Amino acid sequence: MISYVARRVLWIIPVLFAVSIITFTLMHSVPGGPWDREKKLPAAVQSRLNAQYGLDQPLYAQYINWASAFVTGDLGPSYRYTDRRVNDIVADGLPTTVHLGVMAFLLAILVGIPLGILAALGHNKWPDYLSTSVSIIGISTPSFVLGILLIVFFSVQLGWFPTGQWRGPEYWVLPTVALAGFPIAVIARYTRASMLEVTRKDYVRTAHSKGIKNESVVSRHMIRNALIPVVTILGPTLAFLVTGSFIIERIFNIPGVGQFYINSIYTRDYSLLMAMTMLYAFAVAFLNVVVDVLYAYIDPRIRYS
Amino acid sequence: MTQKRLLALVGAVAIFAAACGGSTATTAPTLAPGTTPGPETQAPPDGGLAAEQILRVDIAGEPPTLDPNKAQDSVSLTVLRALHRPLVYVSPDLEVVPALAESWEVSDDAQTLTFTIREGAMYSNGDPIVAGDLVYSWRRLVDPRTAAPYSYVMTEVAGSEALFEMDPEALPADAEIDAALEGLGVAAPDDRTFVVTLNTPATYFLSAMTLWVGVPIQEEWITSEGATEAANYVSSGPFQLDTWNHGSQIILTPNPNWYGEVKPTLTEIHMSMSPEPAQAMAAYEAGEIDMLLPVPSEDIERVKADPVLSAEYAEEPALSITYYNYNNGLNPQGTGPSDRCAEPADCPTSNKNFRIALTQAIDKESFKAVTFANTGIVAGTMVMPGIPGAIEDYEPYPYDPEAAQASMDLALQELGIASAADIRPLRFGFNTGSGHEPRVAFLAQAWLDTFGIETDQIGSEFGVFLNQRTAGEYDISRNGWGADYPHANNQIAGLFTCGGGNNDQQYCNPEMDALITEAASEPDQDRQRELYEQAGRIIADDAASLFLRWGASSQLVKPYVGGLTTTPMDSQVPGEHFYETIQMLERE
Repeated sequence: MISYVARRVLWIIPVLFAVSIITFTLMHSVPGGPWDREKKLPAAVQSRLNAQYGLDQPLYAQYINWASAFVTGDLGPSYRYTDRRVNDIVADGLPTTVHLGVMAFLLAILVGIPLGILAALGHNKWPDYLSTSVSIIGISTPSFVLGILLIVFFSVQLGWFPTGQWRGPEYWVLPTVALAGFPIAVIARYTRASMLEVTRKDYVRTAHSKGIKNESVVSRHMIRNALIPVVTILGPTLAFLVTGSFIIERIFNIPGVGQFYINSIYTRDYSLLMAMTMLYAFAVAFLNVVVDVLYAYIDPRIRYS
Repeated sequence: MTQKRLLALVGAVAIFAAACGGSTATTAPTLAPGTTPGPETQAPPDGGLAAEQILRVDIAGEPPTLDPNKAQDSVSLTVLRALHRPLVYVSPDLEVVPALAESWEVSDDAQTLTFTIREGAMYSNGDPIVAGDLVYSWRRLVDPRTAAPYSYVMTEVAGSEALFEMDPEALPADAEIDAALEGLGVAAPDDRTFVVTLNTPATYFLSAMTLWVGVPIQEEWITSEGATEAANYVSSGPFQLDTWNHGSQIILTPNPNWYGEVKPTLTEIHMSMSPEPAQAMAAYEAGEIDMLLPVPSEDIERVKADPVLSAEYAEEPALSITYYNYNNGLNPQGTGPSDRCAEPADCPTSNKNFRIALTQAIDKESFKAVTFANTGIVAGTMVMPGIPGAIEDYEPYPYDPEAAQASMDLALQELGIASAADIRPLRFGFNTGSGHEPRVAFLAQAWLDTFGIETDQIGSEFGVFLNQRTAGEYDISRNGWGADYPHANNQIAGLFTCGGGNNDQQYCNPEMDALITEAASEPDQDRQRELYEQAGRIIADDAASLFLRWGASSQLVKPYVGGLTTTPMDSQVPGEHFYETIQMLERE
């Protein structure tokens, strides 16, 4: 098991390497550069900036410069926020982004799983219809639409919560709900399907025939088994939440790293873009390893060797 | 809430998301404008001042830098204008007025400017503001090692040639650069006297000096580690930097050493940084911010119809213009067609009558009403009203479908094309995600209806679009300009001069260039204005571009914000040039 985990973790390194090569190549092959403005900078200033930031060197040399700084933990200067280093930008914003992602993740689990269970237990009755409706709305409503609706109703109309910013618990509510909307729906659907499947299993019928109380059958036999497939999607879900908050951060004016990610693409802020891509690639790869390990822990039938 | 409003909001965000956002950094700052630029100063009403003097505004993003020499974007400037004042400044009606300098003298040859600095002027840290700091700041601005985007404003300073001519990729040794900087025409004979020597009688140089880039800077401060962080920041304007939570909030407090006559009444200015205009709009409606500029165009109709919001809404003229490039197809030397337009029939917009026909087919009033919520002023030429040299009522090719048809027939004859249907689809470029789509559609439809000419509407991401536009890849392309400083030179030179850095329409008319050159060194103000007017007429007569609309700042201001001094140059915050006059009034 330990060697399996170690192997999986080590595999992250070549993954990151591949991601960095692909991203670096793609971003430099897109026309435009960090000094493009509607009002053009004088050509001499552009060349001077290129020289200062090493953009006048061949691409492979630029990559080597970037990679050798990256392995020492230096993410380079930002091309757009010229007073700042990328390390500072990431250090400032990452805690907020993770905070938001984790809260949305917890909310998604706390609401999504009970909703799915409820639907399965009331199969083809009103709890099922309710849950299914919520799921369909959640899956088909993009987070930015949900976010704006929440702002309009709860901030502008009712004045219960602020429209944006991230300064305390009352600021956390709306963005967390907006971000959790989609995963709530996904988790509820998985849970419902999985619960319905175990309902027909022999061990459940056996449990019922032994006269065990219905609540015990549900909690001890059905839910425990039904949640195994659900766990598999939690990893990607957490990765999605931690990485997928770009638009939510923008709509709620939250000072995380997500909004810098979008900006870095538009402004060709190469160093910031590389840093953000590596960060997210690492998050996805690492969380997948965590889930696989958890999977073995929850389902004793699974063994890694 | 009405359903319509909801749809408008959702629609706004949907457009953003579909295009994957990014409008903030991309569009030209709607630097201000103005036809009748009068100070919009409200007298404090009888109710009196509020107990809490905190102003809350939104500046639409994290400032890329607060280093005055290096700043270039409207977000940074909105903050810098509170933190610094140059030697001379713009008044609300766009005159050049004293600021740090109490007076100045211009030599008879108009090549030497001698400024006297106010007595006792101090920075926020208590140090005196001395002429030597201006010498340092100006040298740093033009120093190729700084690579300052606005270094070009120093072009008229004597000795700047040596620095601009250095090979930017292989700079000479530091000693050589330092020697060249020593030769720059700036001097500080004593602490209160600053002398600038120009290499030409540049008549617009005083205007350019109102820019943020030439403010006094202490070498000790700007070269220190983390100089632009709040803990270390040294300001010379009415406010100082109290807090800068990156990506979240800036808090300004009054500079206790501010030398100006008008001392701030505000005790704090809170600046939030919402990158999403719909969020800023919601924040205004929820009462979280006190002013909003610009109001998102999709909200304007709703705002005007709302009984409360309409009373808080105002449209001020702005020194900006919306126009579309025609590819004139001329090489930068002015000796003939560009490579792409060697064969005129393949490059129809290189034909003047063709451009005239396209212009005459556009109903600009209707364009403005449909695609700009009827804000702004219909434009016939480049220089914005309010700037000397503007020709407000000049429209050589007004909307007239029949005349357009006649011009088109002429053009086809000259191009040797049998009918408009034989013209290949015109390549019509624009950047996506910034709300240009309806405007592009409006124009394309007009040309299709009038002539049967098809267009390939090519929407690209901003950076891609800009490069294609500069390369002359489009027949027609979106463009816009906001004035850096209120002088016609800033709106024509470089934009319409042969081979100019921003001449993306590949236009070149040596006659026009000669007028601009002459105007630049013409000391007589009336004669100078006349020259710029002539140049403006030539550009319009040549149908060099499709000029459509001079901008407007649509703004919302809560009734309890008083003492606002707006100018047509405000871009993110109403009254951003004069924060010190703003007062919070008692709320009813």
